[in-house]
Amino acid sequence: MIPILAWRNLWRNPTRTLVLIGAIALGVWAGLFMTGFATGMIKSYISNAIDQIVSHIQVHHPNFSEDQDVKFRLDQPDQHAAKIAEKEEVKAVVVRTLATGMISSAKGARGIRVKGISPAEESKVTGLDQKIVEGEYLAGKRKNEILISRALAEKLKVKIRSKLVLNMQDLEGEITPAAFRVVGIFHTGNKPFDEGHVFVQRKDLNRLLTLTSEGRIDPTTLGHEIALLLHDTKNIPAIQSAMAQPDWKVENYKEISPDLELYESQMGFVSTIYLSIIMLALTFGIINTMLMAVLERIRELGMLMGIGMNKLKVFLMIMLEAIFLGAVAAPIGLALGSLTIYFLGQSGLDLSMYSDSLEMYGMSPVVYFDVPSKVYWQIPVFVACTAILAALYPAYKAIKLKPVEAIRKI
Amino acid sequence: MDVIKTQGVTKVYNPDKIPVYALNGVDINIEQGEFTAIVGPSGSGKTTLLNIIGGLDRPSDGEVFVGGQDISQLSDNQLIDFRKEYIGFVFQAYNLIPVLTAKENVEFVMLLQKRSKEERDQRVKELMDSVGLSDKLDSRPAQLSGGQQQRVAVARALAPKPTFILADEPTANLDSKSTENLLDIMARLNKEENMTFVFSTHDQRVIDRARRVVTLVDGKISHDERRD
Ligand SMILES: Nc1ncnc2c1ncn2[C@@H]1O[C@H](COP(=O)(O)OP(=O)(O)OP(=O)(O)O)[C@@H](O)[C@H]1O
Ligand SMILES: [Mg+2]
Repeated sequence: MIPILAWRNLWRNPTRTLVLIGAIALGVWAGLFMTGFATGMIKSYISNAIDQIVSHIQVHHPNFSEDQDVKFRLDQPDQHAAKIAEKEEVKAVVVRTLATGMISSAKGARGIRVKGISPAEESKVTGLDQKIVEGEYLAGKRKNEILISRALAEKLKVKIRSKLVLNMQDLEGEITPAAFRVVGIFHTGNKPFDEGHVFVQRKDLNRLLTLTSEGRIDPTTLGHEIALLLHDTKNIPAIQSAMAQPDWKVENYKEISPDLELYESQMGFVSTIYLSIIMLALTFGIINTMLMAVLERIRELGMLMGIGMNKLKVFLMIMLEAIFLGAVAAPIGLALGSLTIYFLGQSGLDLSMYSDSLEMYGMSPVVYFDVPSKVYWQIPVFVACTAILAALYPAYKAIKLKPVEAIRKI
Repeated sequence: MDVIKTQGVTKVYNPDKIPVYALNGVDINIEQGEFTAIVGPSGSGKTTLLNIIGGLDRPSDGEVFVGGQDISQLSDNQLIDFRKEYIGFVFQAYNLIPVLTAKENVEFVMLLQKRSKEERDQRVKELMDSVGLSDKLDSRPAQLSGGQQQRVAVARALAPKPTFILADEPTANLDSKSTENLLDIMARLNKEENMTFVFSTHDQRVIDRARRVVTLVDGKISHDERRD
């Protein structure tokens, strides 16, 4: 009886009820939309970072990350890399030689990180070949080919086939100058990365760096970094421990880029933050409406208590009215929201208008919406809590009424 | 036996500022099967007395016994249960729950008492027949006239078979024909079910139908006339 009464009371003022249902549904929809957007952005940031820059696992000399000195090289990196590549969990492996130096053109000079890569392997790990927007990928037709980013090309005012000079420290700490020719221009969509890195053939770089006063060190063995891409991130810990070696620092992407771990953990509670804010705002709307509904029914509530409906039942009735409100609104909001998420998850939301600023943060211009599945139970819980919380005061007001006074009220 | 018995019932409003003695020492005994009108000028305390007898309000002083029980001893929640079990109310207006049909209104208190569906259905049918509204079972209060609404209210008050029925100016909003009609029904139920009715009124035609007339003046009983 009480539920029937509550349900019918809800529809006494259909306009008011529909407005409130609309507001709650809109709130739920907005919560899903914003969560979907934020999660999509974060996922795109993380996957961009993994795909283009950090990979899943990287190996360095333990001192390398602090000093970045070429002398902190790995011992026999290619042999190890070949062995790891045989594991079926591993998708691709690349060995890189890294150097820090200065790149200069006739128009300018900049500090730069030089990545010496094996083009074929690199394209499997980071897909660098897909990022070439002008000219071509490293083909090894000539010596000393270099890939620079569009951003850097603009800064240095150089074009395809322009000559650039790289000044780098070699293994003895001597500065070695070398001329390189631009064969391709890349664009990853991550501006800070693009402005700070150039790619050359590892064999070219090794030849430059291994020349010492006592003669040449075997140039084929120089390497500072092994980067691995796995088929599945869940195998990261296993592969990481399988690769452990004395004098090797084997790190996963979260260890290499702590910001990725931060973002990943944030993904778990963006929805909580958005929903809390939205539901807090809705609480006041519900309190207001329920209070109005109680105040305009004072005489009737007095009559109900007069003829024998006890306070618990009156309290329950008011609470149920608010809960029903949420129970109607939440599924509507969820349905509309998940449809929106589905479509924007498939087609993505194109933000290329703002792609410059997105690239500053290493994000793609198209955001594919995505929500963690827990949001779908989180929302009903939030709406229910909001409805209950918001109805408490109006329901309390109702049971504080004295039947005589309520009935006398005109 | 006395169904209702009051002793020295006094009700003071605003005791701290300018005290208003709405009731000033009312002793009244009402027996099973009476058909009693409480009359008196406006402000004489009729509503106050009915509210106190019905356990809707508490006296400032004095005692109220209903069916031998001192109801001043009951807590607010116990009073609600007490009203549910023993007293039927017919108010002047706003008697019915607007979102429920006539049938649902009549069975409402029985539902609160958790009576079985068969019992409820049978009682609703019997009472709606009795008040002449068997064709209005599924009408909402807003679809009924004022007189019909008051008849439904009488049926609702009677449904749980209370000890007595209190009605505060039940005909105040009705035209003379509806008033006659309601009184006929109340008088018949009084006879047939031996139901005790206590009602307040200003209306001479209603007073003429009462079998006992208690007159209040300034919160005191000035006349008590039995017409048997
Ligand atoms: N809540 C209240 N606060 C103060 N005074 C009150 C209150 N309720 C009633 N009174 C006063 O108590 C007295 C009795 O009122 P009551 O309503 O019982 O009269 P009544 O006989 O029912 O009048 P009427 O015929 O107009 O309905 C009146 O003087 C009234 O002003
Ligand atoms: Mg009155």
